[in-house]
Amino acid sequence: MLPTSVIIVLREVLEAALLISMLGAVSGMLGLSRHWAGAGIGIGLLGALSYSLGINSIAQWFDGFGQEFVSATMQALIYLLLVSIALLVLRRTRHEDARTGSIPVLMALAVALAVTREGFEILVYLYGFSSTLSQLLTVSMGAVIGAGIGISLGVLLYYVLCHPAIQRVPFISFALLALFGAGLFSQAIKLLIQADWLPSQLPLWNSSNWLPEHSITGQLLYVLIGYEATPGAIQVAFHSIALLVLLGLAAAIGRSRALPVDQGKVS
Amino acid sequence: MNRFRKIYRLALALFGMISSMAAQAGRPVFLIEIRNHLFEPEQVVIPANTRVKLVIYNRDPTPEEFESYEMNREKVIMGQHKTVIFVGPLTAGDYPFFGEFHPATALGKLVVE
Repeated sequence: MLPTSVIIVLREVLEAALLISMLGAVSGMLGLSRHWAGAGIGIGLLGALSYSLGINSIAQWFDGFGQEFVSATMQALIYLLLVSIALLVLRRTRHEDARTGSIPVLMALAVALAVTREGFEILVYLYGFSSTLSQLLTVSMGAVIGAGIGISLGVLLYYVLCHPAIQRVPFISFALLALFGAGLFSQAIKLLIQADWLPSQLPLWNSSNWLPEHSITGQLLYVLIGYEATPGAIQVAFHSIALLVLLGLAAAIGRSRALPVDQGKVS
Repeated sequence: MNRFRKIYRLALALFGMISSMAAQAGRPVFLIEIRNHLFEPEQVVIPANTRVKLVIYNRDPTPEEFESYEMNREKVIMGQHKTVIFVGPLTAGDYPFFGEFHPATALGKLVVE
């Protein structure tokens, strides 16, 4: 059993790392520079710091549901950014002279939002141990290990997605991005239900007997595709629509033969 | 025309939000405290098929995250602060929850009857 600190930090870092990897693979396909990643992480770290410093007042917003509001807004925005990126890529596959300059900006924004959300939880968690130095050291060690595992998994995914055989089938990267983005959107809906802004219902199904959410597979699927063992009908409906939109775009991009862009042609 | 449709939709969404906020007023309320990384009480009995309001006071100086896989809930509660979480409607049974930052000790459950 891994210490709590490793698990918490791993879970948070993994989400951002997977997003960066998938977007990295997409930028490789388009022959774009990958400077957006560093910019996104930098802005995200600043965002995480400001969010954690302001959490006491943010938490009071909307009768105590400021956290749900901010978190759900960020998740929904990441989803919308992914849709916009997919639309721009699709346009690029149809018109060879279509500009791709805004894609890295949108990628940086998506990464910044993801890092803000995940970094916030890590900072708040570490803050809880800041009064005792020995505890803080132990927990930080776990955090470093957790972050290391998360980043390694992200790098691994990145190299898999950058393999020429996989780059030749753009649908793979975009479908993964679709599963991931729809999962985030579904988490946002879950938060709106938690705040009672959307009606809550009895679960549509209960799959916790054969795939519990707290199992390693369950946790991994939660991060990757937003797996939920006992979702309500509204959450399932929104999740499905969000997934269909992105999968549709992924399929349209996959049908075109214009990707990956020949690296030699990029000026 | 399009703009009117947008405004209409926005008004509809706002109305939905306000009406659900008004509905919040009638929910049964249950209090839970966090002290020394323990939930007090550890067991809370709530009615079945009812949406309830949990008010959670974190009496510790350190933050905690209220989390439950069974109820699909997750919320950070800073030290010396309180928070509100709506849960349910739930069918009869046990619904465990825990403090994600101190999962070895911060354990509790809702007993739905």
